[in-house]
Amino acid sequence: MTTPIPPRDPRTVMRLARMGSLHQCRLSFMRTLLRRLQSQHWRFETQAFEIDAKGVGHAVYTAHGPDHSYSLVAFAHDLPPDMRSDRVIATAWDATFTLFDGVPTKTDIARLRDNVPKQEAGRVSDRELSLSRANRSVRLWDHVVDSLAAGHQPDEAKVRDVGYLMRTTAVYGSGKFGAADREQSAHRDECRGPFQVEMLSVYLTRAFVMDLVEHVARMRAPDTAVPLDPALRRKFGIGNSTGLGMAPFLMTHPVLINHWMAAREEAIARVRSLPSATQDEADAFRAYAARARLHAEDWSSDHPVQIAKLADLRSDMAHLAGHLDTADLTGNQPWNRLWRWAEDNCSLEGQEQVASLLLEPYGDLVDGLSSCMYANEQEVMRIDGAMPVSDLRALTRDIYAWALAIDWDQRDSQARVWYVSEAKLEPRVGERFEEPIEPYEQPLCPGRDAARMYADLRDFPDGPVAGFLLKHPEHRHVVRRAQVAGQFPYAEIRDNTIDAGMMPIDLLRAKLSFFGACHFDPRSDRWLRINMFQHAPYPAELASGNADDWTYPYLRKAAE
Amino acid sequence: MSWSLNEIEGLARKATRGAGLSWGLAEDAGRATRWLCAMGLPAADELANVLTEIDGVAYTEIAPQSFDNPWRAPGGTLCPLVAGACLTDMAGALADGEPITLGRTAHPLLLYPYLAAAADMTGTSLALEWDGTTITRADATSFLDSDGPDTPVTEKVRAGIAGAPTGRPARRAWRGEISADTAQILQGLAHRTYAPETEQSRLAGAGAGLTDND
Repeated sequence: MTTPIPPRDPRTVMRLARMGSLHQCRLSFMRTLLRRLQSQHWRFETQAFEIDAKGVGHAVYTAHGPDHSYSLVAFAHDLPPDMRSDRVIATAWDATFTLFDGVPTKTDIARLRDNVPKQEAGRVSDRELSLSRANRSVRLWDHVVDSLAAGHQPDEAKVRDVGYLMRTTAVYGSGKFGAADREQSAHRDECRGPFQVEMLSVYLTRAFVMDLVEHVARMRAPDTAVPLDPALRRKFGIGNSTGLGMAPFLMTHPVLINHWMAAREEAIARVRSLPSATQDEADAFRAYAARARLHAEDWSSDHPVQIAKLADLRSDMAHLAGHLDTADLTGNQPWNRLWRWAEDNCSLEGQEQVASLLLEPYGDLVDGLSSCMYANEQEVMRIDGAMPVSDLRALTRDIYAWALAIDWDQRDSQARVWYVSEAKLEPRVGERFEEPIEPYEQPLCPGRDAARMYADLRDFPDGPVAGFLLKHPEHRHVVRRAQVAGQFPYAEIRDNTIDAGMMPIDLLRAKLSFFGACHFDPRSDRWLRINMFQHAPYPAELASGNADDWTYPYLRKAAE
Repeated sequence: MSWSLNEIEGLARKATRGAGLSWGLAEDAGRATRWLCAMGLPAADELANVLTEIDGVAYTEIAPQSFDNPWRAPGGTLCPLVAGACLTDMAGALADGEPITLGRTAHPLLLYPYLAAAADMTGTSLALEWDGTTITRADATSFLDSDGPDTPVTEKVRAGIAGAPTGRPARRAWRGEISADTAQILQGLAHRTYAPETEQSRLAGAGAGLTDND
């Protein structure tokens, strides 16, 4: 008899340094999507591809599911190089997209052509489920077009260095800029899981971009151009640049974040609890560990923080390989023993890589948890006004012990301010003591706010919380957070989100790892680049391809 | 113009904060406005009216002085966004059969999403009544017995256990129509939550300074 292992303590998991070291896993949303598309035999067709020699025009890629069809409507533009900025602050792009609910008519296309290229400055309707745009990676795009036009394949090393031909710079979903709200489609099986609509749009975008590069090469040199070799083609993902716009999400959707983290933690606990493993499962884990090591080798970044983390990760993966040479992975709760080894021997990067790897051989045991990763947030965010003040006090001490221990009078403890800029209506982080931004502070510092709330709560007469809230409306948002975190253990980040040393990229990485992103490449402490769907089969290959086992590069031996 | 419910919630939250209520009350006002729009009712217009009225007025003037019946605002008129939040907070008492009466209250329609939340949380049928209008929340369905529930102000509101629902069940709407005038008022208030750009924020706020054109 072995004892089941409980999920990890939120006080361990919900720290920014660890959240900023998360890796994709079987429950990541890209993988959930491709498993579904394959198992339900989705059909894909290119309904239109009307693009001229300069690369200007539109295309429509439709995915047909069992009950609904979804169409990526892509507009390709001829963007002058001086207008090519990947940032959300740009106003023109190489390509713009929307995911249309169904199959668009000519009238729909005309309407979308007037709006989608303008992005935030345009307006879409409740027939559209997402809005996005992408720019070329100039360094790779020109090389690939030149090579294909000249009749040969591009240089594999250059492909590996960049990893994609276009980078999306924003993928707007639920209700943004007039698009349909999530609840309008959330009752459909394929839309219920988080970000499935957005991931489908990105997956089809990757297919479009690859068709586009081949098309441009063919238009330039019809007599000599060749298509990309299919194996090399799969080495292209689709890039993304992500910044602060995404960061508040982790604090403004505590229940959803809980469900994501709780699903992954439950999956890890289930595998760790297994009393034994078969030789096949042990061999599978060893193969995944070797592939994850290749992934770590292929991953590059110029950011000093990530350079150091990558050095740690590579060393961890080498250390793991050595350990796996001799470790018994079959008896005596082998995965729990391996996890304990990782905790004792690896950096946070390595630990979280091992945690994600543990799930790989156990799809049957863990994949079903992906159905627990969505939330109806309207209902669960209500305050329980009948809770006794004494209970709220105890709850606050439990959830926010770390925050009550911080000296909030120290400048560094609240050096930062989250605010929204007037110019771009985007979330920003500023310096409280250097910029005139404090009056505009957003409620994105739960730790400090909990400490303030506790100071007023300490001497408040006993009675229902309703009375405390009537007297202290300024604490209402954090009373809600405390109550939510009391019900949902992973709802709250257990770290100071306004500390002088806080790095927003930790928040971004946590979210993006759940999307299934790889190759996190911070460009500063507040924005980063990633690669998505690299090595995944294309829509036309999906029926017979490897819909799930593509996230780590294949071992060279196996690929040959 | 047709707005998504997400856009309406975000605008309502920011506008409420811009008019001076706390973030927590603003979050609830955003959800309440969204929820009422999803019933096809003119929630955004009502919100724009109430925020215009309370703009610059101290919280203590528009909040109930205490939970003793009838609730009264020291300034004379209860704000439905504050009193509504209190109604949700008092869900347990309402479900226990203790009715709540409110004295003079502005735009009582805006109280309804908060009362409905209390009904749904406790699994109790609750009704809100004023000036011959009754809205009932029973089994997660809303019943409205008035064609013009957008009363600007009323002297008395009663919230409590519902009798048999009267009126028609509300239809589910997926979008909100917001007039240009209402949008302008709400956007003006929301704008107060945005920090004016400075040279420093432009350079540092988003972590710019590195090109992303390669």
